[in-house]
Amino acid sequence: MNPEERIERYAELAVRIGANVQEGQEVFVYGIPDHADLVRALTRQAYRAGASYVNVIYGDQHVNRAMIEFGPDSALTYSPEWQKTLASSMTGNALLGTSGNPEPELLADLDGERVGRAFQVEVAEIRRKQHYENSVNWCGVGAPNAGWAQQVLGEPNVERLWELVATCMRLDEDDPVAAWKEHLDRLEARGKALTDLQPDALHYRGPGTDLTVGLLPTARWGSALFTTNSGIRYVANMPTEEIFTTPDSRRAEGTIRSTMPLSLAGRLIRGLEFTFEDGRIVNVDAETGADIVRTQLATVENTDRLGELALVTGESRVGQTKTLYYNTLFDENATCHIAYGAGLEYAFDGEPDEGMNVSNLHVDFMVGGPELEVDALLADGTAIPLIRDEVWQLA
Amino acid sequence: MDERLERYAELVVGLGANVQPGQEVFIVPNLEHVDVARALARAAYKAGASYVHVNYTDGHVRHAMIELGPDEALTYAPDYVKTFVESFAGNALIATIGDAEPELMTDLDGERVGRAVPVEVVQIRMQQLMENSVNWCGVGAPNEGWATQVYGEPDVERLWEALAFCMRLDEADPIAAWREHLARLRERGAALDALKPDAIRYRGPGTDLTVGLLPNARWFSGSSTTASGIEYVANMPTEEIFTSPDSRRAEGTIRSSMPLVLSSQIIRGLELTFEDGRIVNVEAESGAGVVRGELDNIPNADRLGELALVTGDSRVGQTGTLFYNTLFDENATCHIAYGAGFPFVFEGEPDEGLNVANTHVDFMVGGPELEVDAILADGTSVPVIRNEEWQLA
Repeated sequence: MNPEERIERYAELAVRIGANVQEGQEVFVYGIPDHADLVRALTRQAYRAGASYVNVIYGDQHVNRAMIEFGPDSALTYSPEWQKTLASSMTGNALLGTSGNPEPELLADLDGERVGRAFQVEVAEIRRKQHYENSVNWCGVGAPNAGWAQQVLGEPNVERLWELVATCMRLDEDDPVAAWKEHLDRLEARGKALTDLQPDALHYRGPGTDLTVGLLPTARWGSALFTTNSGIRYVANMPTEEIFTTPDSRRAEGTIRSTMPLSLAGRLIRGLEFTFEDGRIVNVDAETGADIVRTQLATVENTDRLGELALVTGESRVGQTKTLYYNTLFDENATCHIAYGAGLEYAFDGEPDEGMNVSNLHVDFMVGGPELEVDALLADGTAIPLIRDEVWQLA
Repeated sequence: MDERLERYAELVVGLGANVQPGQEVFIVPNLEHVDVARALARAAYKAGASYVHVNYTDGHVRHAMIELGPDEALTYAPDYVKTFVESFAGNALIATIGDAEPELMTDLDGERVGRAVPVEVVQIRMQQLMENSVNWCGVGAPNEGWATQVYGEPDVERLWEALAFCMRLDEADPIAAWREHLARLRERGAALDALKPDAIRYRGPGTDLTVGLLPNARWFSGSSTTASGIEYVANMPTEEIFTSPDSRRAEGTIRSSMPLVLSSQIIRGLELTFEDGRIVNVEAESGAGVVRGELDNIPNADRLGELALVTGDSRVGQTGTLFYNTLFDENATCHIAYGAGFPFVFEGEPDEGLNVANTHVDFMVGGPELEVDAILADGTSVPVIRNEEWQLA
C-alpha cells in the first residue's frame, strides 16, 4: 500500500466507521496546518460519503501563542461570534478532529497562568451542551507529522510513525471496515458481559499493586462506540481498544503502580505509585516527576479521586506496537488504565450517580502489563477473574 | 525571529491596514502562508489589537468540494462564514496572497470552478467595500509553489528579496518612504482629475479601446480612508492611480499583455471585445472557458469596473519579474478590471454608470507599446502615457 492509498483508506475509516458521516450531513473537520495531508483526505472521503458540505477549520497554536504573549487579558477568554455560530452549526452534523502535536513545548516559556486561562469559555459551553445531548457524531484520529514523530521515535521519521499508526488502525487488514466492525462487536460484548455480572468492585493485583475500587450500580461498561440522540452510531476515538466505566469515587483502597511513563505538562513521570484511602489519594511516589502530580492534586479540586477505570487486553494493536506515543488517544489504548479526576457522565444509564467524581481535570495513567491480574468482586464477595496474562477471561 | 519578516508584518499592520488599538483584526491567509500569517498576528497584537482572528483557507479543500461535492455545495455560504465576514465591519482585515499551486484546479470542470462562489458571503464583503467600513490590506506571502512559478525553481529567498524591494523594505524607514511614494501618486491623480477627461483611449498591439469616464469619479491612488476616518492602503505594493469608468461606454478591443491567474487557472492572451460597454466576445490562448463561465454566471461581470494607470518607475515593474499574481503584476503596468466598480471613487453619490457586480477581475494591458490618451469633452486628445512614462505635469 503506497502512502497515498494508505492515507485515503485511513481517512475512509475515520469518516465511515469513526464519525459515520451520513448522506446529506455537513461535516466539520478541525485540524492544524501540520495535519493538512490528513485533513484534505478526510475532506475528500467525507464528500465521497455524501456530505452536503465540508467545513475545514485550521487552528494554529502559533497564533494562540501570539495571543497569550502579546494580547490583552480580555482576548484570552474571548469567544468570537462566528466561532459560536460555527460550534452551534455542528448540532446534528458530523465532526472529525485530528491530533498529534508537532510542537508540544511551544507554550512552555510563556506565563503558565495566562496559558491556563486562555480558553474560549462560551464556545466550550456550546460544545459541552452538544456532548451532553449527544447531538454530534464525531471522531478523533491521529495525524502523523515530523514533530510528533521526533517525540515518539527520537527522529522525524514520519513514515515510520505512519506505519505504526496504520497497524493500530488495522489498515493492514484486507477489509479494515469489516475488521473494525468485528473488533467493536467484541469490545461491546465484553462490556455487556461485565455489566451483566453487576460487580460491586474491581480488584487489581500485580507488582507494587493491590487496589480495590468500588463500582456504581447504574454505571455501565462500554466501548468508545456511541449513538447520537438521532440514532447515528459513531466511534469517538480511533484507535480504541478499551472498555471503560466511571467508578465510585468514594471507594478506593490500596496501592497501584503505573506501568508506562506518563507525559504531563511537557514532562515524563516514571514509576508513578498512588496509595488510596476512602477513595482519596493519600500518597504519591514516583521515580521522576512526582512533584507535578502532587501539585495537581493539591491545587485542582477532586483530582485526588478516581474518574475512570478502563480494561485493555494483550491483543490491543496499540499495545502490540510497544511504542509510547506521547498522545493519550493512542497510549490509553495500549493497556489497562485508570484516570484520576473527572468521571464520565455518559457511562451512566440516566442521571449520573452522586458517587461520580466531578473535577476540571482527567488524567489517564497506564497500569496494565503481563503480571496484572484484574478481578470483578461481586456483592457476595465472590471474585471472578477478568484479566490474566493480558487475556480476557469472561465468556 | 526572522527580522525581515517581522519588519514586513509591522509595515503591513502599521501602514497598510493601519490597525487601531482596540480593533479586532481578521487575517485570511492560505494554508501555505503560515509564516506571514503568524508574523502578522504578532504585529497586530503589538499594535494593540483586541483580538486577532486567523482563518486559513485551503485550495485542496476547495478542489475536493468542486470535484466531489454536490451542486449545492458550490454556492453554499455557511452561517458562521457569513458571521465571520460580517464581523469585519468596523475592524481591520489583512489578506495574504501568493498561490502555492496555481494549476491546482486545472483538472476540474471549468464551469463548476467558475460557479463555485459563496454568493451571500461575497455580497456581504461587497457591501462593506461600498460602505468603506473596513481598513484592510492585501499583501504577498512568498512560498515554494509561487517561487517555482515565478523562477522555475522553489527559490523562496529570491522571491522574498523581490518582494522586499517592491515593498521598499530596503529603505532606512520604510513607513516614511511609503508616505512619500503615496503622496507622489496622489499628485498624479489630481493632475488627471484637473483635466476633466470624458474618456480614456488605449492603443497598442491588438488594442484600440475607448472607455467613457464619469464626471464625478475621481482618480484615486493607493491610500484610502474608511467611513470612520482610518487611513489605509488596500494593496501593498501599490503603484497605480485608478478610477471607475462609465460601465455603459466602452467600444473596441483590448488585449491583455500578461497572463492572468483566475480560479487557479492561468489565462493567457486574453482578448475582450466591447460594444456599448458590454463584453461581446472573449478569446484567449488558454483559459477562455473560466472567463466565459464568470461572465455568464455573474450579473454585470461583462462590464468594466476599473481603469488603472501605472508607469515605468514602478518598483514592481523594475524587478522585470512576472509574479503570476495580480496584486504584484497589476502594479507593474496599466490594467483594467471587469466586474464591480468602486463607489468610493465618487464625489457624492456614485453615478448610475458605476458597475455593480459580485466579482472584480484585473487584467494587465500595459507595456512599452501601449499609448494612453485622455479624451476631453471637446474631442482633444491629451497624452497621458508614452513609453511607460507619465506625460502630465
